[in-house]
Amino acid sequence: MASKFGLAGGIPERRVRPIWDAIDSRQFKNALKHATALLAKFPNSPYALALKALILERMGKADEALSVCLSAKELLYTNDSVLMDDLTLSTLQIVFQRLDHLDLATSCYEYACGKFPSNLELMMGLFNCYVREYSFVKQQQTAIKMYKLVGEERFLLWAVCSIQLQVLCGNGGEKLLLLAEGLLKKHVATHSLHEPEALMVYISILEQQAKYGDALEILSGKLGSLLMIEVDKLRIQGRLLARAGDYVAAANIFQKILELCPDDWDGFLHYLGCLLEDDSNWCNRAVNDTAHPPKSIIDCKISDLADEMFDSRISDASALVQRLQEDSNNNVIRCPFYANIEIERRKHLHGKGDDYKLMEALLQYFDRFGHLASFASDVEVFLDVLTPEKKTEFMEKLKKTSNCLLTVPTKALGQSITLLKVQQLIGNMFKLSVGELEGSAVQMTELYCKNLPLSKDLDPQENMHGEELLSMVCNVLVQLFWRTRNLGYFIEAIMVLEFGLTIRRFVWQYKILLLHLYSHLGALSVAHEWFKSLDVKNILMETVSHHILPQMLVSPLWVDLNNLLQDYLKFMDDHFRESADLTFLAYRHRNYSKVIEFVQFKERLQHSNQYLVARVEAPILKLKQNTDNIEDEEATLESLKYGIHFVELSNEIGSKSLTFNEDLNLRPWWTPSSERNYLLGPFEGVSYCPKENTIKEREANVRRVVERKSLLPRMIYLSIQSASTSLKENLEVNGSISDPKISSELKILLERYAKMLGFSFFDAIDIVSGVSGGLKSLEVFGSDLIDWLNFAVFLNSWNMSSHELVQADGDRSYPKIWHIVDSLLEKYILEKISSTESTILSPTVDLLVLVQLVTEPLAWHGLVIQSCVRSSLPSGKKKKKAGPADLSSLSCLRESVQSLCNITEKVTKWVRNQINRSEDENLESLLSSMQNKGREGPGQVLLIIEALVSSINDTDLGDRISQALKSWSHVDVARKIVTGKCTVFAEFLRNCESKFKMFQSLKQQIAQV
Amino acid sequence: MTTIRRFCCDDLLRFASVNLDHLTETFNMSFYMTYLARWPDYFHVAEGPGNRIMGYIMGKVEGQGESWHGHVTAVTVAPEYRRQQLAKKLMNLLEDISDKIDKAYFVDLFVRASNTPAIKMYEKLGYVIYRRVLRYYSGEEDGLDMRKALSRDVEKKSIIPLKRPVTPDELEYD
Repeated sequence: MASKFGLAGGIPERRVRPIWDAIDSRQFKNALKHATALLAKFPNSPYALALKALILERMGKADEALSVCLSAKELLYTNDSVLMDDLTLSTLQIVFQRLDHLDLATSCYEYACGKFPSNLELMMGLFNCYVREYSFVKQQQTAIKMYKLVGEERFLLWAVCSIQLQVLCGNGGEKLLLLAEGLLKKHVATHSLHEPEALMVYISILEQQAKYGDALEILSGKLGSLLMIEVDKLRIQGRLLARAGDYVAAANIFQKILELCPDDWDGFLHYLGCLLEDDSNWCNRAVNDTAHPPKSIIDCKISDLADEMFDSRISDASALVQRLQEDSNNNVIRCPFYANIEIERRKHLHGKGDDYKLMEALLQYFDRFGHLASFASDVEVFLDVLTPEKKTEFMEKLKKTSNCLLTVPTKALGQSITLLKVQQLIGNMFKLSVGELEGSAVQMTELYCKNLPLSKDLDPQENMHGEELLSMVCNVLVQLFWRTRNLGYFIEAIMVLEFGLTIRRFVWQYKILLLHLYSHLGALSVAHEWFKSLDVKNILMETVSHHILPQMLVSPLWVDLNNLLQDYLKFMDDHFRESADLTFLAYRHRNYSKVIEFVQFKERLQHSNQYLVARVEAPILKLKQNTDNIEDEEATLESLKYGIHFVELSNEIGSKSLTFNEDLNLRPWWTPSSERNYLLGPFEGVSYCPKENTIKEREANVRRVVERKSLLPRMIYLSIQSASTSLKENLEVNGSISDPKISSELKILLERYAKMLGFSFFDAIDIVSGVSGGLKSLEVFGSDLIDWLNFAVFLNSWNMSSHELVQADGDRSYPKIWHIVDSLLEKYILEKISSTESTILSPTVDLLVLVQLVTEPLAWHGLVIQSCVRSSLPSGKKKKKAGPADLSSLSCLRESVQSLCNITEKVTKWVRNQINRSEDENLESLLSSMQNKGREGPGQVLLIIEALVSSINDTDLGDRISQALKSWSHVDVARKIVTGKCTVFAEFLRNCESKFKMFQSLKQQIAQV
Repeated sequence: MTTIRRFCCDDLLRFASVNLDHLTETFNMSFYMTYLARWPDYFHVAEGPGNRIMGYIMGKVEGQGESWHGHVTAVTVAPEYRRQQLAKKLMNLLEDISDKIDKAYFVDLFVRASNTPAIKMYEKLGYVIYRRVLRYYSGEEDGLDMRKALSRDVEKKSIIPLKRPVTPDELEYD
């Protein structure tokens, strides 16, 4: 912070140093003392004020800080003699930013720059302000001023980046690029360029305008020497040539790249693409979508080349690949061998394929690299070219090839695993009989156990040999469960993975599988424990949370859910706050390409679907947590501004662009996205399971959920208001709205809600009334059950104040809406508890539906009742006189409270019963599910594990593995499952008990009215 | 089958399979972005077929005079792509940039004293233990400062091991 001449903001440095020191050591009280003393000495110093404001803000006194800042600003504006330097302004800026008043900081800098138009330091400060505000046009104008002032390359590039941002992230037209190009051209003519990044920006400006020839000319001229890494330069050159359609020249460049980097797979794909004149590589890819790049290997176009030309080009490619193979003198360069397979595949696409040649190329690749863990995923796309029969034939050939004895045991194991993986890949597993599948699981487990000694000397931090086998066993066992519905297999799958984690606790692949298994079983607390052990933090929260978040959103584990949501939201919001400063850092360090990248990345995260969902779900969770106390709920609603913003969000969601940043590749096969879980449906074989692109489906789902859920806070607020005025005459509480407005707004929202459910308002009323009266089946609501019940609840509270539905309305007549709500809640909830018998054993979603029924519609209805009761109780001097309408409402209220008492009592009893089933009994049923009767059914894998544990050979396995094996107990795992489920029940029980108590007390209160 | 290219922000959304490894730290955003904003040439990612992320390296260049050096902050490879000498490739790239572009004297890195497999790997790549840093990791575990001299350090002065261990506050750089 020190400045020239020992002055800081016009004050001798020795006087401010103690303040800085105190701030740095977080002794804010002390700092404030010093700052106050300083102000006494320099009452007209904006810097002294800024320091005081900074300290106040750090002490959490935001209002005081703002007022001090504003005084400083006032001084700057009015007192011509005060010093206006960057130190003062940047200190003020920090405080304004922390107080969410970026605009005030900007206007200070704007004022200062107006006063001292040639002060570069101040102008940089102003530029930084515009960076923070994402005001690209003003950034550009300021940068140009600086450039004119000193003529430096960097300021010109700042301006050019600001122009690019207007085109890419703002609403600037592409014509602006011409302006940027002109600026650069003029500068280059007189000053040339000196930074590689400046050259990259220049090229990208030309490329964006499709001026590939110009870009190439610059690259091959003197400026090209700025790029020091030869391959980087060649890559740009190749790309430009290909985009310009000069495929021959481009292919030559890519060939050069391959000669320099023979393992560059992307380089080979470009090379082949250019040879075959296939431009899909260059056109299809949205320039900046690198987070979900298309699998370029799949996305190629069928070549338009004439046969003869195609053959000759392909033979060129083969010759190059051959040469590269010969030149590769080590065993780790895979590309030239892999490239052979791709060449065969392209021939296939061109109608000139030969399955046997393709298989031959695959076998060659297997021969060299079959032991590598990545083999199976490497060849996955190529196997898809073969017909099912050919796939089986290939499998046979592969088995034969692998029979050749490998001398290194780890390699032999690697190869065996590869064979098993390929078998799973080509879909053979789905054709096997149950017995064969069991056999395969047994075989894999045995292979794992047999090869454990290979890992005896490994550091515990290192991956063990054959670790993937247990994941594969799990996959087979889950498939067996899907087919047979025999839960034993499912429990056994859990056992296998838990066993693997007993031996080495760091295997995240097991943890992910396990957390999905536990989730499916309803032991969410255990699933969450495993999720926590993955240490998912920072950006991983955006890409990995999808494994647990959707289940947690409907669970009763509110404390854990709240932590998940808050941590995630904090991460995202922190990033949005600091992102602009990092962008400015990129400007300062002249890494211009990163400037654009950072701004685009921030936008990408801002549009994250998960972020949007979390922003809606976090407040809804708060509302759910407070439903048993209407005052707390009202305070929550107040903090949510009575839900107004959420209604706006619901309006906008249809037109909002969303990004999907979740990494779904690591999900298990049975649930490729959180919307899908094949295990919930019947077994449908392999055609049903490929990991298809589910973005569209997910997008529709997110929009639907957000649209509905973001209406809830407002509807809850309006319902409480509506209920409280129903028994009293209109009343105006501070800020709240009066009766007619409430009911008309609530009606509009109800109409929208009905529309979202696919019906008109009155049709929706007919449906709820039909279901409650038994005229329509309970199934009508389908997967929208909770939303329908919410509709009924809010409909009732609307009707309480509007009374529109009391009398017969033309052809329609309605039973009392109170009764509709009561009977719907009773029907659905009681049906759930009677149909969900032995929940410890059943993988079930029923419990989660029950939890939602109780904690959402029932809870909202509870709030409506609390509001009614509160307003019907005599308060203060005015004694209420109940009129005829009130009497009828009161009786409905009494009945409803009684009904809710009954429901919550029954649910409470039911949950308690679930928990109280003796642990031994639960354990017994779990363990017996795996009991092996004869040589069939679940339990065979577990037997192998138990056999290994009972015959541990310390010398073979080494100390660490032996000790780990000795600590294994499958009964402990079974106990963990039981306890895990009980934890979920216990949380739910607490909730039910609290509701039951609340309704009982309401019953007593209402009896006195 | 490796395409090595500059790391970009979007790669942060795709590196879960690398970073879920318990020895790979997932830093906060400003950490990654500061490296990207200041030393983009020292942050590279390796991609395999299907644009799968195989691993990455992040580092920086800093220091004064003869201690001007490249520094490896993190290098990591996904389990599926281990035992293919990928870390070596990434390290060589960073060494090359430090040597040829930035004309640094040496490259250094810190490793947990208990992380034997990593230490062995770095030794194979030509690194020597220059000094021990006491309680470097969260005030608990010792770190080893390992170095490899580059062509500018003709006499290999930068890698002559120190006789005594140092404490974290004696370090010249973070």
